[in-house]
Amino acid sequence: MDRTLKARLEARLADRLTGPVRQRHDQTEIRIRPADLIDVMRVLHDDPQFEFIILADLAGVDTGDTMQAVYHLWSNKTPDWLRVIAEGLSRDDPRVPSLTGLWPGAEWMEREAYDMLGIVFEGNRDLRRIYMPPDYKSFPLRKDFYLPDDSARGPGGGVRHVEEPYAPLAATERSIRRTVKP
Amino acid sequence: MTAPAQPGHPHPSLDDPRIMLDGQIGQYEQVPPYPPRTEREAEFYTLGDGEMFLNMGPQHPSTHGVLRVVLKINGERVVDLDPVLGYLHRGVEKLCENSDYHHIISQIDPLEYVSSLFMEWAPVMAFEQLMDVQVPRRAEYIRVLTGELLRIASHALFQGWMALDLGGLTPILYSFIERDEIVEMLAAVTGQRMLFNYFRIGGVNGDLNHEFMSRLGDWMSRAAVQHEANIGLLNENEIFVRRMRDIGRVDRDTALRMGVTGPNIRAAGIPFDVRRAHPYSVYPELEFNVPVRGSNGSGDSLDRYLLRLDEVRESIRIIDQCLHNMPDGPVMARLPRLLRPRPGRAWAAVESPRGLFGTYVISDGTDQPFRFRIHDPSFVNLQLVGMLMKDNLIADTMAVMASLDPVMGGIDK
Repeated sequence: MDRTLKARLEARLADRLTGPVRQRHDQTEIRIRPADLIDVMRVLHDDPQFEFIILADLAGVDTGDTMQAVYHLWSNKTPDWLRVIAEGLSRDDPRVPSLTGLWPGAEWMEREAYDMLGIVFEGNRDLRRIYMPPDYKSFPLRKDFYLPDDSARGPGGGVRHVEEPYAPLAATERSIRRTVKP
Repeated sequence: MTAPAQPGHPHPSLDDPRIMLDGQIGQYEQVPPYPPRTEREAEFYTLGDGEMFLNMGPQHPSTHGVLRVVLKINGERVVDLDPVLGYLHRGVEKLCENSDYHHIISQIDPLEYVSSLFMEWAPVMAFEQLMDVQVPRRAEYIRVLTGELLRIASHALFQGWMALDLGGLTPILYSFIERDEIVEMLAAVTGQRMLFNYFRIGGVNGDLNHEFMSRLGDWMSRAAVQHEANIGLLNENEIFVRRMRDIGRVDRDTALRMGVTGPNIRAAGIPFDVRRAHPYSVYPELEFNVPVRGSNGSGDSLDRYLLRLDEVRESIRIIDQCLHNMPDGPVMARLPRLLRPRPGRAWAAVESPRGLFGTYVISDGTDQPFRFRIHDPSFVNLQLVGMLMKDNLIADTMAVMASLDPVMGGIDK
């Protein structure tokens, strides 16, 4: 755990953080609003005291109530991984700014998060499905998408499996059994 | 036999046989047969003067699996290309979110089937963080030892593939000799040749045995000599060198912005190796160099090829140190059978032969992870081909792609 990184982050990004800076093992975690994402990432990338030059990962998360976009960054200036969580995206219309202006390599990871969770990255000029076929309608990693062998929602329970293809997204059934504190 | 019509559905799948039946062959303006979904797709599927589309894959022998690339070509030159993924998509993340923590290790083995121990390593490390498990030192040494062996096997295979994609058949036969020695060795200790399922949360499944040690001693006595001999097969070959040099150049800034990791970023002049950049396991105790090439700004296919050969030398050094420094003791921490970590989040990354392989795990206190995210290095590295291939010859497409060393099992997840 890098205590100085926590102090530096709190000093530099104080007004942007939506929660306390958390640290555990070799990870430091900050939470921000999606609207601030580009500004915060620019500071983390360009500011000589941070220099997080490598975007190690981009993950979409469905907590059951809201959605998140989670970024992992690496810098030479700290022994910690930095986790940036853009939190509080609505499940009906999750939108977050695209990072392709800063890291063009984020393009495919954003496409993947869109494909799997339906998160729309505004500014990504190639936001189409990457794994699933173009006519696919569901978002498989969402928590209201169940596997066909899910015992509680099997065909015996009257539930159609895999996907309900032609219903618009807002009309799909919402029955989420597992949620996690965001 | 065509699929039944789907009422009111304007976008048929690309795999739909009706596309071939409805469209007239030769009318490339009809590809894709639906309105473009994005700005980029509209730009790509608009043909300029003298241009045409060429579909490569998904059954092309040198796409390293089931990668499909739509090339837009003008004569012999590639104008633009659009990789189409998903032919091997199995939904591993979703499967892992519906498996318990022990089960996941076997679920994600087949991701990168030529280096599957690294696929086990990252989630195992993340789970150990979630549960605050201390791994015995002997187990850590065994992980490093087997991991580095597999890195050598993976790079040996890369060397053979690389030559095969350029039309040389001999090197892959020698690569497989090298690789077979190693996988047989690992089979002696894990019971499997490819999908090892060997690492466990809190250690490894079983200590090193006599057969493994005798095979390893045998192999180590000639590994360095054998490696130099394999190098001599190709590095002096003028055709091979001239087809690789100055093709597919990546500079420092591009490599960083494109999120490239592994040998590909080190061949662009950036010494980013997770084993040193963010040390894990017992790597801080081991002596090895991080080879870097392309510092003078070349960063071409030849650099990426040579860098992997340099890495094999370093891996042999690491194995030698592991054998000398390995302590005695248990290989598993004491853990309950049913694991229910407290709610929390963990991220762990390892340096696989292809780059940074990471997993992000969210636990909600049950025996299954709430979210299990897999970051695969080949997926990100493959994005480079679009940029590297512009204005190159079609024949070089596969050479450049092979120099990035992608494995489709990991890309498609």
